[in-house]
Amino acid sequence: MIAFDHVSKSYNKGKVRAVDDLTLTVPSGEIFGFLGPNGAGKTTTLKMVVGLLRADGGSITINGLDVRTDALRIKSLTTYVPDYPAVYERLTGLEYLNFIGDVYGVPKPDRVERIAKWLEIFELESAVGNPIQSYSHGMKQKIMLIAAILPAPQVMILDEPMVGLDPRASHSLKEMMRAHCDAGGTLFFSTHIMEVAERLCDRIAIIHKGRLVACGTMEELRRIDKEQQSLEHIFLELTEK
Amino acid sequence: MRKFLALLRAGLKSNFGLSVLRHRLLRQKRDLWMVPLVGLALVSLAPVMYYYFRLLKSVHNLLAPLGQQAALLTFGLLAGQLLILIFGLFYVISAFYFSKDLDVLIPLPVRPFQVMLSKFAVILANEYLSVSLIVLPVLISFGVLGGRGPGYWLEAALVYLLLPVIPLALVSVLVLVLMRFVNLGRRKDALIIVGSLFLVVLTMMLQFWVNRSSRLEPDSAALVRFFSSPDSLLQKVGSSFPPSVWATKALTGGLSAAGLAQFLLYAGVSLLLLIGMAAGAEALFYRGLVGLAETSARSRGLTGAEISRRISSGRRPIRALFQREWRLMNRTPIFLLNGTLTVIIIPVMMLVMAKAGSKDSDLTSLFRMLSSRNVLLSVLVSAGFMILCGSLNGTASSALSREGSQFWISKVIPVSPRDQVAAKFLHSYLIASLGIAAASAVIFGQLKIRPVNVVPALGLALAATFILTAAGLAIDLARPLLDWINPQRAIKQNLNVLIAFLVDLGFLALLGFACRLLSRLGLAADSILALLGLVLACLAVSSWYLLGRFAEKRYPAIEI
Repeated sequence: MIAFDHVSKSYNKGKVRAVDDLTLTVPSGEIFGFLGPNGAGKTTTLKMVVGLLRADGGSITINGLDVRTDALRIKSLTTYVPDYPAVYERLTGLEYLNFIGDVYGVPKPDRVERIAKWLEIFELESAVGNPIQSYSHGMKQKIMLIAAILPAPQVMILDEPMVGLDPRASHSLKEMMRAHCDAGGTLFFSTHIMEVAERLCDRIAIIHKGRLVACGTMEELRRIDKEQQSLEHIFLELTEK
Repeated sequence: MRKFLALLRAGLKSNFGLSVLRHRLLRQKRDLWMVPLVGLALVSLAPVMYYYFRLLKSVHNLLAPLGQQAALLTFGLLAGQLLILIFGLFYVISAFYFSKDLDVLIPLPVRPFQVMLSKFAVILANEYLSVSLIVLPVLISFGVLGGRGPGYWLEAALVYLLLPVIPLALVSVLVLVLMRFVNLGRRKDALIIVGSLFLVVLTMMLQFWVNRSSRLEPDSAALVRFFSSPDSLLQKVGSSFPPSVWATKALTGGLSAAGLAQFLLYAGVSLLLLIGMAAGAEALFYRGLVGLAETSARSRGLTGAEISRRISSGRRPIRALFQREWRLMNRTPIFLLNGTLTVIIIPVMMLVMAKAGSKDSDLTSLFRMLSSRNVLLSVLVSAGFMILCGSLNGTASSALSREGSQFWISKVIPVSPRDQVAAKFLHSYLIASLGIAAASAVIFGQLKIRPVNVVPALGLALAATFILTAAGLAIDLARPLLDWINPQRAIKQNLNVLIAFLVDLGFLALLGFACRLLSRLGLAADSILALLGLVLACLAVSSWYLLGRFAEKRYPAIEI
């Protein structure tokens, strides 16, 4: 479970409030989608969870551990995929996966089984021995996703994970996300694809100009305005101003 | 023209990071501490420039009675143009063919020659800065000491503005042809490494050649003949690259017909080459770019069994991190050249330069001191040489910066900052030790220094380099440069590397000063060395401890 308690973050010495007094709970066992227009504060929020940014105020806890004081323990439970494919381009795909396996302490039998399984699902077997710099955008995204799955984390933080994926890979990823949460894991991800959020997520939060404007299941969101049937309409209505 | 100017403006802003700098300094109010630091760096240049001007003045005064003072100008202009010619090759290939903004520029509705000329102008701007410290003092000294009038200063300004054009245009034409007809793009990593090593060899050969050609024939009749003509020395010096002679004659001739004719020749050739390059760009530039985006990939994939075999059975995190550092450093050509290869090349180059140099050169006297009978002097100079060779590379001071946008990985993995920095330290220290080993091999093998002097020098060098490696890492921890696109910025254009160099030199000067003080107090050589070893060992242990603590504090604070 991830809990945000009055979290704030600003840039330019307080002139730009990227996240403003965010209080939110991401329960375990549910796929939690995080929506918002460009610049609304989604990526900033996700980055604060994994320690890439520090919150100016409030607290973030994961399974009861504070991200500031228990950073190392939290990192061993969490994996993250950013919204841009920045990986070690001079390593081969396999060297990168080995590196991740080593730093997360994944035992060899688990490594062999998970790497083989996901290379096959993402159709990367023939490329995994090549340098990552020879990969396409989608292939880099796939290798980052396999690296995030490899340690079998309790918590996964994914920033726009579908971008660049072909339909087959995208489908496999959605299945993985479902299985992860069914096994009791926590999954917090951002997306711009309304259809994905509507069909896949158990719970959705919408952020606009750094403030949380809605949060709940699809049914609860629909109750905000009975005329608005699709998530796209609700989203447009809530983020209009 | 408007399109070209727009390209040029964007290129200059991107190259010098002007927009980012303005945003950080004026809007975010970040990095304000850099302003006094840059000021301090400029002020610290003052003594060097003072001695350079003094040297130029004595050379001028030496040549003036012989009527050969114009050779001073040729020396300065030739040095500048040769430097541009040699290093320009690397800059031109990087800017024209391997810069990432090409993906954005090629689809724009602009002509190939406009793109190329804008990139050419950006390199030109860099070169004005690069050679200014060498060439401008020469132009100023010559003008002031010769009491030249306004015509000279006007022409000097024009000559300086045109200075990089001929060498850079020559290199550009060569590169255009090379890239069009030889498919080097797919082997660009190898091209960068081989090209750079070629430049190193070329520099060494040039060093030999300059030394040989600067020696005058000993017989007196030849000397009389040589000095009977006022431009014999400048002709001899400039014979390798005539544009420097044209520029010199233009400046010495002033506004006379002969002077103007030489200036027209100099400016005309510059312009012609520029036009030729633009025409060549129109025909060859984009065709040479075709296929560059492709990177070599193996044709055959791995089998399931091969994949299983290559999956590691679990290394300790520090070992995995060390291996990552090692691989990323050695597989990125610009990092490899400035790290692993530099530490091996520097001692060899210094030896070659000393052997090629005159008996009175600084390097030759340094090497003579190494084999001195004075044990203390021999050990200390040997240690100093080893420390220089081990620490004057940017490995430690760019250890975090080199990760760039991939630093997010280091931030999210479950390895403590202390362990992460320990892995970086081990890697940097290994590279430094390679430099120390190369320097020891030069000292021991070539200069036949007694082992009894090499061993204590080695001990001192290893301890001092330990401290300097920790200092380099601390500097990069304090202000990592992570927002680069071109890896060159992470190591070659990284202020942290420059600061670390200054710290290294300052530390060496401090050590030398301490030894001199101890020696004046009448302490025996053995006691001085033992004391020095003890102090360095204590500092090394403290630096390790402090580095770990600093990493724990800094890692969480670095935002990406």
